[in-house]
Amino acid sequence: MTVAISPGSTSDRAPAKPALPPRAGISLKPEHYRDILDSRPDIGFVEVHAENYLVDGGPYHYYLNRIREDYALSIHGVGMNIGGEQPLDAAHLDRIAGLLERYQPACFSEHLAWTSHGGIYFNDLLPLNYDSEALQRVCEHIDQVQNRLQRQILLENPATYVEFGRSTMAEAEFIGEVVMRSGCGLLLDVNNVHVTCTNHNLDPDTYIRQLPLGQVGEIHLAGFSREQDADGATLLIDSHDAPVSEAVWTLYEDVLGRCGAKPTLIERDGNIPPLPTLHAEARHAESLLKACQEIEGS
Amino acid sequence: MNKQTTAAALALALSTGLAALSAQADEMKEGMDKSDMEKCFGVAMKGKNDCKAGAGTTCAGTSTHDYQGNAWSLVPAGTCTETASPTSPTGFGQLEAFEEKQS
Amino acid sequence: MTQHLFAAALLDPNRAAPSDIRTWNGSDPVRRFAVYRNNVIASLIEALADTFPVCRQLVGDDFFRAMALEFVRASPPSSPRMSDYGEEFPSFIERFTPAASVAYLADVARLERLRVDAYHAADNEPLDVTAAADCLADTAQLPLLRARLHPSAGLLRSRFAAVSIWAAHQGRGTMKSLKIDQPQQALVIRPSLDVEVVPLDLASWTFATALNRHETLGAALESTRQTHADFDVAQSLGLLLRAGLIIALQPGMEPS
Repeated sequence: MTVAISPGSTSDRAPAKPALPPRAGISLKPEHYRDILDSRPDIGFVEVHAENYLVDGGPYHYYLNRIREDYALSIHGVGMNIGGEQPLDAAHLDRIAGLLERYQPACFSEHLAWTSHGGIYFNDLLPLNYDSEALQRVCEHIDQVQNRLQRQILLENPATYVEFGRSTMAEAEFIGEVVMRSGCGLLLDVNNVHVTCTNHNLDPDTYIRQLPLGQVGEIHLAGFSREQDADGATLLIDSHDAPVSEAVWTLYEDVLGRCGAKPTLIERDGNIPPLPTLHAEARHAESLLKACQEIEGS
Repeated sequence: MNKQTTAAALALALSTGLAALSAQADEMKEGMDKSDMEKCFGVAMKGKNDCKAGAGTTCAGTSTHDYQGNAWSLVPAGTCTETASPTSPTGFGQLEAFEEKQS
Repeated sequence: MTQHLFAAALLDPNRAAPSDIRTWNGSDPVRRFAVYRNNVIASLIEALADTFPVCRQLVGDDFFRAMALEFVRASPPSSPRMSDYGEEFPSFIERFTPAASVAYLADVARLERLRVDAYHAADNEPLDVTAAADCLADTAQLPLLRARLHPSAGLLRSRFAAVSIWAAHQGRGTMKSLKIDQPQQALVIRPSLDVEVVPLDLASWTFATALNRHETLGAALESTRQTHADFDVAQSLGLLLRAGLIIALQPGMEPS
């Protein structure tokens, strides 16, 4: 499998790395290890959660090594605590650095969220307020991570359920500042845009236009579930346990029109369907990517 | 137990043990290639780190429990209720049967 | 400093939701905050349910989840590496009075925890039989050798038939005919890709435990014979070798 070389390695600290191809990929789940090796589906890349592979040995590493031989790899962290008020866990950062050293993934991404506080890991992506103090802290954390990992990371926009009275900036504006100041890239999760905009009554077009679309390195697509808040208003939950919704596909096409074809992940963490079902969603994303490339080329 | 008999007992144990081991290895080599071995790999344990949100507001974390007080009224109600009483004379042989299956 | 209050309220339902949270429509923010409470608690309970599936079956889903909730609040994870979570769950179960009627539950949990540890443990090549056979050239030195054990190996000793109870939930045998208070021992190990549970008689368990304490072969044999006069070292060593427990035989010194 050939991999494209990133045309614009903008960060001065990050040497040029092979980039993900502008194709559709899927979350790699242990349930699909064997199927992928047996059926070798034509998938653009696979993505794993870093923390699941911070183990010494066993089937996870065995299969990731095998699959990595044939597919481009993206590693997605869920526990770096980039948005945390307390200092990053240096030991955790070291373990992540070791993992990236071992697998040399085309891409490493993390979340604009906090996950730990006071020595407790909450196993959830928790929201932060958006003000200048938070901005400085997040940029320092990203600096620390990028320096330690010796590469640019992508930062994912969050799905949130509450806002904070202390916030002085809109989320998209905050993300734009972080990307500009830290030199990280953007992992644009289109489902999160839909969820967040629904939950906070924002206009997704405006939200997306405020984002630094020139720095998008990867796109995530996923499914959500539907709840109601205390007043009966729709509250979407970023559950990753359902197919990508129509609304998110529409938003995705719009995003491709604005930022061009980008590596796109079909993300699935719950109700894991058979591999062909995920692959079919990836093919749909790929048809939209192709259409976008044809327009770009014409 | 003197040193000599310890050494002799260990020598006998190790030599028979290693002989059985290499016989087992030869059998495996003949009977299976590596991909067969992989196919025997049973249950893939699920990854426990992900970035999904839970089942909405069905409030697993919102109610209070205190097992030392009266709030804890639950009793175990799974397969443990199927077991015979610990003093039951029946049930011998279970471990032996399991050992046979294992080997 | 908003995260301190947010964090404290996540695990403690008696604490108020942080006062700084807002909703666009003025709806009660507590309802939305409950999504986070739920995510944290439900995902941690689910992690425990994944690691301890037989314990869950033994006490039923409702009881297991309620018990796991108590554990999560008392001992939330400290590390993002969730495969480690629940190391203390077996001892929590042991002290958990509502589960006292299922006295063997903690030992079944220990077995399940050993299985997850073995699953993710470091890999290792099996014993080099030729190199090990070279040790036979000088039998006088044999008692002074120490065994290096497979990194995935774990040893369980239970006052109950914890191994058979676990096996009965893998489609091997039934719970109905078990003699629950029959003590059992097992070796949990992953020689290749699959985790195996190998039942051990008490003498073999004693011998393997001595090897695991880095005793020399001679000292392990002698200490086992002190409690098991009729210990058959050939049978026992053969079983442990076939299980893949011993990955190298090394001379004298304590491993560092």
